[in-house]
Parts: sequence; structure tokens; C-alpha cells
Amino acid sequence: MSEGGILAELLVPFSYGYMLKAMWVSALVGGVCAFLSAYLMLKGWSLMGDALAHSIVPGVAGAYILGAPFAVGAFFAGLLAAAAMQFVKLKSRLREDAVIGLIFTTLFALGLLMASIWPTSVSVQSIVLGNILAISDEDVVQVAIIAGVSFVVMAFIWKDLMVTFFDENHARGIGIDTRRLKIVFFTLLSACTVAALQTVGACLVIAMVVTPGATAYLLTDRFGRLILISIGLGVGTSFLGAYISYFLDGATGGVIVTLQTVLFLVAFYLAPKHGVLAARRRRQVATEAAA
Amino acid sequence: MIALVDWIVTPLSYPFMQRALIVSLIVAAVCAVLSCYLVLKGWSLMGDAISHAVLPGLVIAYVLGLPLALGAFAAGLSCATLTGYLKDNSRVKEDTVMGIVFSGMFGFGLVIFTKVETDLHLLHILFGNVLGVTERDLIEAAVIAGGTLLVVLVKRRDLLLYCFDPNHARSIGLPVAWLHYGLLILLSLTIVASLKAVGIILVIAMLIAPGATAYLLTDSFERMLVIATAVALTSAALGTIVSFHVDGATGACIVLIQAVFFALAFLFAPKRGILRATPRLAAIED
Repeated sequence: MSEGGILAELLVPFSYGYMLKAMWVSALVGGVCAFLSAYLMLKGWSLMGDALAHSIVPGVAGAYILGAPFAVGAFFAGLLAAAAMQFVKLKSRLREDAVIGLIFTTLFALGLLMASIWPTSVSVQSIVLGNILAISDEDVVQVAIIAGVSFVVMAFIWKDLMVTFFDENHARGIGIDTRRLKIVFFTLLSACTVAALQTVGACLVIAMVVTPGATAYLLTDRFGRLILISIGLGVGTSFLGAYISYFLDGATGGVIVTLQTVLFLVAFYLAPKHGVLAARRRRQVATEAAA
Repeated sequence: MIALVDWIVTPLSYPFMQRALIVSLIVAAVCAVLSCYLVLKGWSLMGDAISHAVLPGLVIAYVLGLPLALGAFAAGLSCATLTGYLKDNSRVKEDTVMGIVFSGMFGFGLVIFTKVETDLHLLHILFGNVLGVTERDLIEAAVIAGGTLLVVLVKRRDLLLYCFDPNHARSIGLPVAWLHYGLLILLSLTIVASLKAVGIILVIAMLIAPGATAYLLTDSFERMLVIATAVALTSAALGTIVSFHVDGATGACIVLIQAVFFALAFLFAPKRGILRATPRLAAIED
């Protein structure tokens, strides 16, 4: 094939409306999830993202069955899950991980059962694996509103949130309402989980809200820069992932997450300061100096 | 009464339902035993991670013409070891690393799945296909589950000590590293055995709920094993039969019935149920 032919081939995805839509929606969702990931992985709350993504499935399924907006159903299911987890954790001697696991798997099974009983109104496949290539316009509007609002809110509160997460006492000392801030953060997280569910599906949401932040964490020590790198990674991988999935005929979520994981592994080895190779070099220098 | 007997017997008059029931019972038993250890060790989410990570192993094994169980097992184990390696060599927290590794593997599995011509059904891998279990599947599950169960029961005291207090286990000379990887291997095998019946997503629930329920009901570990197994077996039998009548996903029904048992234990457990505990607390305060 001639060079022009290859170029034309590579530009094909841009000529389809649905592909353009998939790419910009993915990039938007990827960006805002990456923003949140910077905070989640610092606090060791990574698996909350996974739990939330699975817990909202019955809400989404119910909303589709009743013909309501999926975001509303997801929101209620998320709320129910969070309340149930808090309650069981407080009232029993079970460890937190067992409580989280128990509740999210139960809710997920409920969603699955609903989908198996009313298979025409809900597609399990698109809930679990995402369906960004065939997303309906109404769903795009919901996703865009969620992601856009979350972005704006995060842009306003990122600094206070950082202080809160690093040192809550200090934050309270300088007059930050940490309780309200945390509630806002978790509301945004649930909302973005809903948006990500549409893009990559329930099983892969966790990557969107964890991996970019963790990769950025290996690359810098400054939190402001960490957020920017993370958003960059999220937007880049999501856009590119959606683009590549055109040539693979699907698996958008899989491609996005694979890209994110590969970048994490690259950073793990090659990061200038915190990478494995850098550590090895430092050890070598140290032994030489000692000898 | 007759209606009840009918309700139970009618589904079981079909051979595919009989096989479904048997395989569900086998899987439920082995998951229940493992779940007791996981709950104690705080590894509930390890089942989550390993089972997602199994997907690429299945697909690759299919492509290479190897037994699917082998690929699944290898993938599950690599997830666990890779998580350990990445955590030890970077400053990222363990739960984060675990999330990255298993979601990465799952995502990669999805990608290769779409590029491979297979007669595997993705939804069957994810949620099991218990009604389509063949005699061969049944035997395979029974062998893997039976072996796993046997090893756990023979080593149950060592494993218990390791889960409960690894330092103490080390100090009395138990091979802690072996027990650690042994438990991971057993967990991977359990997930492999459960593939056909409940799939890689719902097995997570079966690896948590029975142990968690039993933990609320007793302080003795031996009794906990018995209760967990009983709960799991009852849920498996009931769930299979209910799913026939409501025409719903079997795995989901089993998991939901387990959750009902948990809820009952949570509310009414003799010592720790929340509806029981309050009066006694009030009495102390008086």
C-alpha cells in the first residue's frame, strides 16, 4: 500500500460520527477519572472504585428496565451500597475488605439477575464491558454533563482536597470543611464511576480511577504536577484507545485499560527517580562508592 | 406440601438441571472452605483480583490449544506474583497495584478475545453457564475441587495459623512462604474449578459470603468451616432450583441466596446479631 493509502486508512475513524463521538467522550471521561485517581491511590481507596462500579449495576439495569435515565438509577444504587457498607462495617466484626466485597458482589448479582429476567431492556454485555461505540445520544448528554461538572468542581477544590487528604487536622486548622469536602469528593467519584461504566464497563472502571494516578505518582513528587500528568495520561490513553478500537472492531475498554497498564509498567521500570532501573543504578553507585 | 415437593422435584427431572445442581454443590463447597481462610486473612479482595486476571489465560490457552484450566491457573497465579513484585519494587500501595494488575490483565484479555476466532462465549466465562455443563466439565470441576479441598483439609491447621498470625507461624518453624503461595495456588485452583458453574465474576461472592456469614455465628474455626459449607451448599441447591422457576441467571440466584443468609446472620446471630446485641448492651448500661 502506498504511503497516502496508509494515511488515508489511519484517518478513517475520524470520518465517522460515531467514532468521533466515542473518542471525545472517552477522552473526557478518561480525563476526569484520572483527576480523581490522583487522590484515590494516595489514600489507599483504590478498590472503592471497583466496588462502586459493580454496585451501581442493579441501578443501571433498573433504570433501563423502567426507562429512566441511567444516571439516576446508578446514583441510588451507589448510595444504597455506600450506606450498606458503612452500616455492616459499624455493626459487625468483619474486616472492611470482606464487607466491601460482600456488598458489591451481592448488588452485582442482583443486577445480573434483573438483566437475565428482562433481557430485552438491558444488555449485560454493554454494562459489564461498556459500549461506547454504540452509545446513544441521550447517554452521551448524561456522560458529558457528569464529566464536565466534575471537572469544574475538581478544578475549584483540588487544592483544599489535597490538604485534606494529606493532613486532615491541618486542613481543619486552616478552616477547611473537611467533612463536606470528602462528601463532595465521593459524590463526584460515584458520578464519574457511572460515566466510566458507559465507556469501559463495570469491570474496568477501576483501571480508569487508579492507573493514571499511580503512573503519575511514579513520575513526580509534586502533587500539582501529578494531577496534570495523570489527566494527560487519562485523556491520551482514552482517546487513543477509542481510536485503536476502531481497527479491532470493539473492546474499547480493553484497549484503553491495556494502554494505561502498559504505560504504568513503562514508568515502573524507567521512571527517572522512582523506577526500578533508577533504583538499581543508585544501588550500583552506592556499592562502588563503598568499595 | 405436595406443591413444595413438586417445586423441588420438577426442575430435577431434567438431566441438565441435575448436572447443574451437582456442579453448583461442588463449587459451593470448595469456595466456602476457602472463604473461611480468606475472611480471616483479610484477602477477600484477592479473590476479586485473581478471578478477573484469569481471562487472558483462558483466551491464550484456547489459542495455543492447551487445556483452559491450565491457562486460567497460570494467569491467576501470575496476577498474584506480579502484584507482589510490583508492590515490593515501587512506592505504590498494595491495593492500588492489585487494581492495576488485575484490571490490566482483564482489559488485555478482552482485547485478545475480540481478535481471536473462538467458540468461547464471553458471557459464559464471566457468569458461568451452569445449565450447559457437560459430563466432562462436571468431572473436571470435581477433580480440581476435590483435590483442592483435600489439600486444604489436610493442611487446615497450618493454614489457619498462617492466616491468623503469620509471625507466630514463622516462629514455630512453619514454612510461611510455602503456605503463602500454597494458599494462592489453592485459591487459583478454586476459581478454575468454578469457571463453568458461576464464572469469574460471581465466584468472588462465593469466596466471601459463606465465610463472612459463618464468622458472625461462631468463634471456633472448625465450626466456622462447617457452617460456611452448610450455608454454601444450601444456597447452591436453593439457588439452582429458584433460578429454574424464575428463569433467571443461576449463579446470580445462588449469590443472592447466600446474601440472604448473611443478612439473617447479621440480624439474628445469637451473640453478634444486631437485633440481639442491643438489649444486652442496654442491660449492661443499666
